[in-house]
Amino acid sequence: MTTQSSYLDKKDLTVKDLVTIGIFTALFFVFELIGSLPFAPNPALTFYQPFGIALLCGPVFLLMVAKVPKRGTIAILGIINGIVWFALGMHWGMDLGYIIMGLVAEIVAGIKGRQNMKWNIAAYSLFCIGPAGAFVAYCANPASWVQTMLEKGTAQEYIDTMTATAPVAALPAILLGTIVIAVISGLVGKKLLKKQFERAGVTEARS
Amino acid sequence: MSKAQSGLKMSADRNYSVNGETAHAGLWMDPRTKAVILFLCVLSATMAPSMRYEMLLVLVIACFGIACRKVRYSIAGALAYVAIYFMTIAALKTHGSVQVMLVAFCGLVHKVYPCGILSGIIISTTRVGEFLSAMNRSHASRKIVIPVAVMLRYIPTVREDWRFIKDAMRMRDVSPSLKSFLTHPGMTIECIYVPLMMAASKTADELTVASITRGIENPKPRTSYVEIGFGIADVVAVVIFLAMFLAGQLCKGVFL
Repeated sequence: MTTQSSYLDKKDLTVKDLVTIGIFTALFFVFELIGSLPFAPNPALTFYQPFGIALLCGPVFLLMVAKVPKRGTIAILGIINGIVWFALGMHWGMDLGYIIMGLVAEIVAGIKGRQNMKWNIAAYSLFCIGPAGAFVAYCANPASWVQTMLEKGTAQEYIDTMTATAPVAALPAILLGTIVIAVISGLVGKKLLKKQFERAGVTEARS
Repeated sequence: MSKAQSGLKMSADRNYSVNGETAHAGLWMDPRTKAVILFLCVLSATMAPSMRYEMLLVLVIACFGIACRKVRYSIAGALAYVAIYFMTIAALKTHGSVQVMLVAFCGLVHKVYPCGILSGIIISTTRVGEFLSAMNRSHASRKIVIPVAVMLRYIPTVREDWRFIKDAMRMRDVSPSLKSFLTHPGMTIECIYVPLMMAASKTADELTVASITRGIENPKPRTSYVEIGFGIADVVAVVIFLAMFLAGQLCKGVFL
């Protein structure tokens, strides 16, 4: 039983960590679905879908990082999200966005060793830009984007309305709005973690 | 390998339990084949030339589901798609902003529906053990495979937990609605997030103990009661879905 103590402070991801990541990814995914439900089917709001995702997932993200403060946690979250959304038939820009921003968020949170709440919130807001990947792809080349969406079965009028409500110039607004909402969600999550989870001993106290 | 060579390959008449209920196995396929099929389905749906083509795709998926003994789910899914199909045609005949709303909604449904229904069939017919064995066999990274397996099994549980939480909230006069979110935001947020996340971290601990007890950390290659391997059914399924994909790309005119 020499493994008992060394097992807990092992640097690499243990099975316990992987299971925890799996569970919280499931919770993250459910909140993503709830958050994007009012946005995605509506052409006037579809560009703002990242807002819904950013608004709801903050506490889940922060608790997950607090429970598994190791290298790879956030990257795995991003990769799994990319795979799952791809399997559900989403635009490839969104899937790729999840994976790339997962890696970026991983690096940002890693600067302070995933222990610093402010940096974790910053990592979360970067992570939330991932779902906007589809719209970044749109702004890079609107014509080809309309084509793939049309082939996917999206009606022309839907795209017209969408293009009208969110011209290319709106991209910075979307990204900025996503970050602001993500930070708000992160602050709520921070408060929640401090008030409930640290006291209950689910996570250790952190600045 | 000797076990596989002895020819004791488990055939179609196995019974096993999925989600607690004993289901007749029906057509058995390697989880890797299922992943390939899902990938082909995503490609087909993404590049579908027309709605009629998607209708055919959904029917093929429904046949696949029936072969996997998911009869009720498949038929209900196909019928629902027929309804959506005609709704979309009706929606195209309306005008103005109503049309935009309806068509937009239908467009999204068409994009996601085939992949969603196939994912549903695949997830409900694949046991976690089989999935892990197959992924282990193809040397996929454990760091992705274990969280995915856990996640797929946990999502239904979230829904169950949510029902209990809603009941508990009502009992304490906190209603889980948008109205109470606007009037008492802090209270509502806490009442939703805290129990869900507490339950999640408790489940994570329990599941870890359970999976370590069952030897998930064993570095030796995983053994499995069910023999994982490709058979004729796998080849046929992949060929059908590949043909479906190629038909959509090469003979677009047929489906217009």
